[in-house]
Amino acid sequence: MRSRAARTGHLPDAVTGWLARGVIVFLYVPIVVVVVLSFNDSDLTYKWAGFSTRWYGVLAQDTDLLAALRVSAEAGVISATLATLGGLFAAMGMARLGPRGRALFSGSLFLPLVIPEIVLGVALLSVFGTLRASLGMTSLVLGHLVVTLPYAALIVIGAHRALDPSLDEAAADLGCGAWQRLRLITLPLLKHALLASWLLCFTISFGNIVMSTFTGGVGTTTLPLRVYSLLKTGLTPEINALGTLLVLFTFVIILGAGLRQMRRVLVDDRT
Amino acid sequence: MAPYAVTSYAAPARARTSSHTLGTFPKGLAMSRTTLPRTLLATCVLTVTAVLATGCGGSGSDAGSSSGGGKELHVYAWAGEIPDSVVKGFEKETGIKVTVDTFDSNETMTAKLSSGSSGYDLVEPSQYTVQQLIGQNLIQPLDHSKIEGLGNLAPKFRTATYDAGNKYSIPWIWGTTGFAYNDTCIKSATSWKTLFDAKYKGKLYMLDNMLAAYIAGLQVTGHRATSTDKDEIAQATEALQQQKKVLAGYNSTNYPQLLSTGQACAAEAWSGTAMAKVVASDPHVHYVIPEEGGSIWTDGIAIPKGAKNVTSAYKFINYLLRPEVAAKATDDGSSASANQAARKLIKNKAALENTAIYAPDEAIAKADFLLDPGTAMQYFQQGWTKVKAS
Repeated sequence: MRSRAARTGHLPDAVTGWLARGVIVFLYVPIVVVVVLSFNDSDLTYKWAGFSTRWYGVLAQDTDLLAALRVSAEAGVISATLATLGGLFAAMGMARLGPRGRALFSGSLFLPLVIPEIVLGVALLSVFGTLRASLGMTSLVLGHLVVTLPYAALIVIGAHRALDPSLDEAAADLGCGAWQRLRLITLPLLKHALLASWLLCFTISFGNIVMSTFTGGVGTTTLPLRVYSLLKTGLTPEINALGTLLVLFTFVIILGAGLRQMRRVLVDDRT
Repeated sequence: MAPYAVTSYAAPARARTSSHTLGTFPKGLAMSRTTLPRTLLATCVLTVTAVLATGCGGSGSDAGSSSGGGKELHVYAWAGEIPDSVVKGFEKETGIKVTVDTFDSNETMTAKLSSGSSGYDLVEPSQYTVQQLIGQNLIQPLDHSKIEGLGNLAPKFRTATYDAGNKYSIPWIWGTTGFAYNDTCIKSATSWKTLFDAKYKGKLYMLDNMLAAYIAGLQVTGHRATSTDKDEIAQATEALQQQKKVLAGYNSTNYPQLLSTGQACAAEAWSGTAMAKVVASDPHVHYVIPEEGGSIWTDGIAIPKGAKNVTSAYKFINYLLRPEVAAKATDDGSSASANQAARKLIKNKAALENTAIYAPDEAIAKADFLLDPGTAMQYFQQGWTKVKAS
């Protein structure tokens, strides 16, 4: 790499460097703007009128928005958990299939990824309509599962296939039953993949608009739907305050995960 | 989190070895033996319980409400148009528990209703959507013997052609489509022609909405906004194509901001909270209904076919028709109320003076309600495609 860069001169490196800086700025400027404007003492999201924390007070009083936040969090937790479990079962089931069965199974599992979500949403809505099933949290979670399950399966199957099958076989040789092998070998080894899958699915479910539009029902207006529908009457810095809190929440999670990761590395180094 | 997960775990598959080779046990295995499976198991149990609980909760409430009357009401409305204070007041007075869900477009709401299992007892369609919902048999005729206070509505909302006599819908709030200008750039403007004027080239915006653009296109060429005539629509298309050369762009999200900062001299605009805020805070920005007529819209309350809590729905309609409740649409929601009797009860007098909330009566005398164009929709769509592609 280095020699090739030397041969072609330093320009490409400089260009890549600046490009990278540009991309980072592009990614983070909106977040910074959201945070700064959440402390804006104005009714308008774009005009600065002095520092104030009043929008956080308004947010704390806004029962509709908080209810929407709760719905999103609930749907996110339930669908992420179910999707990750589904991914785990898919991975374990797939390990027992032959190559052709595996191709067929993974193809059918990942198909929803390439079908436009709006098509899936409309289709699900017609299914619920035909079944006369009332729309609500159950239908919302089922809708989100359609979206998140392929991602969970992708992650967990990938991790599961990277496992050394001899570990499982060794445990079997040593007299472990199926449940023991799952509990003592497979799950601990897949721990990080399961966590990653859960977090990804939660994020996807939490931010989903299209599927929620079609599969939500009475009392399940999610946060993104609520914010989106507020566009008609105009947004206030209250939305920025909410955005700031969500960013903060995400940072705490990342920091927590990062710290644990670091500690593990340190512990591993000592042993 | 996500990229890390994908890159580190989507490792290439390792060929499955069939021989019983004993691999080395990984280091972490013994340490994490106890914690993970148990937490995972606990999560499973919790999740299943939660899903069952919500499922049962849903069906339970249905069972409760289908036994006639019911103490619940499910409302599906535009966000921010039915103020929280109104909902709370109704709950307190009647003991009926109200769930309000919000939608972002008439089309979303129509899609939900057409599934036949939306579970809503009241919806809030705009006037042209009322026509469509009647046509698709998705809302039911109102029983006027159960409604009190219809006389409080302004006459314009009692006789409108889209639902004459309020057979299906009760107008709740209304607004207009006109344009706004910044007087540091344009001294005064009263006509759609301003938005077609080459003098302000690059400083003009139109709403990024087909039917809204055609209000200007049709009226500036001397036709009515409700026209469904092929030739008239063609003329409007021509005008809009010519106009595109002087436009800075199509914008239906932050045009009030562009007007306030002076990036726009004039922009086609919807009345309502976003525009009203800028008109109230910036003395240079003015909202006008063009002399050619402009157009008026209203969001009203209707009962879907198959609604379960019809008794509660009528109670809510009657509650909304009370002048003191309707006044809250303006005081707490910054929208114009369709209730004439509410006007004198409104505390926020500035809102009554703000043309971007309450357009003056004489200005809207000529304004048409935009109607469902029916089969003429294709002329609009074909024309709009031409405009956008030119």
